[in-house]
Amino acid sequence: MRVAVTGTPGTGKTTATELLESRLADSDDATDDELTPDLEVIHLNRVLEDEELYTEVDADRESKVADLEALSEWLEGRDDIVIESHLAHHFDVDRVAVLRCRPDTLEDRLLERGETDAKAAENAESEALDVILSEAVEEHGLESVYEIETTEREPAGVADELVAVVTDEREPSAGEVDYMGYLT
Amino acid sequence: MSQDDDKWGVAHVHASFNNTVMTVTDLTGAETIAKSSGGTAVKQNRDEASPYAAMQMAESVAEEVKAAGITGLHVRVRGPGGNLQKSPGPGAQATIRALARSGIEIGRIEDVTPIPHDGSRAPKGKGGY
Ligand SMILES: Nc1ncnc2c1ncn2[C@@H]1O[C@H](COP(=O)(O)OP(=O)(O)O)[C@@H](O)[C@H]1O
Ligand SMILES: [Mg+2]
Repeated sequence: MRVAVTGTPGTGKTTATELLESRLADSDDATDDELTPDLEVIHLNRVLEDEELYTEVDADRESKVADLEALSEWLEGRDDIVIESHLAHHFDVDRVAVLRCRPDTLEDRLLERGETDAKAAENAESEALDVILSEAVEEHGLESVYEIETTEREPAGVADELVAVVTDEREPSAGEVDYMGYLT
Repeated sequence: MSQDDDKWGVAHVHASFNNTVMTVTDLTGAETIAKSSGGTAVKQNRDEASPYAAMQMAESVAEEVKAAGITGLHVRVRGPGGNLQKSPGPGAQATIRALARSGIEIGRIEDVTPIPHDGSRAPKGKGGY
């Protein structure tokens, strides 16, 4: 099974999937019969950097323009994975978890992480307009999308939800948050 | 197209997954002429209800805009509902069509949807926006 963990930068994908990763690793040699599937977590931004799978650099945004085709080829043959990236929903996957965060909180998280004002603001606006959620639903359908609200959740709680998604313990959902009120 | 700039405004359409709101300003963006307020902002159902709700909102804003003497609107669309190249989401296209139908001239239509990005971003046109 392939699972995408996507969401606007700042929603906590890297943090939550690192926790997920250690849980999946723990369950490898666990003697208790946990039903967590054997999935490898792939942090796609690291692949993009290491393998130089981008076509150009967007100077305004200080951001590398992903070569989606090359990334997709790199992913070929890797079938039991969790792809972590705000681009993850652009690939061939079975389920898409979309992490959400209230735009004002998201902006704070990004500024705290050291991002520029412009980067924090554009991502907050993207989140307010559901850009990634809409793309995920358009590409994979409502039946494959699992929206996870992270604003008031600890990273461990977000990881719990991801486990629920991969183990079939929760239903798909989309559009349950409305962040339009946070547009500036 | 009218050359009289005084009679033109800008419609800022924000189209999210299940909501569409619109603000009309003068050409500089400084003065707000009409706004679909929280009450009239339409909560959509993503299916049939959505273009209809966006249309109703556009019609009521159009009346206010005409009352203010505006005859033409440039349109700036933000949001996945606003992709004009690919499959348009429910909100934006319905909004623009409703404005045109209520007798307002439509000028330039621009898509200014933000792009989510960290160290990387999707190429333009992928995911649509
Ligand atoms: N659930 C959470 N609650 C509060 N802060 C969080 C949460 N998850 C992540 N953060 C913080 O927010 C910032 C962005 O998290 P990160 O995992 O890097 O997001 P992403 O990978 O989606 O861009 C980091 O500084 C991180 O410590
Ligand atoms: Mg990250």
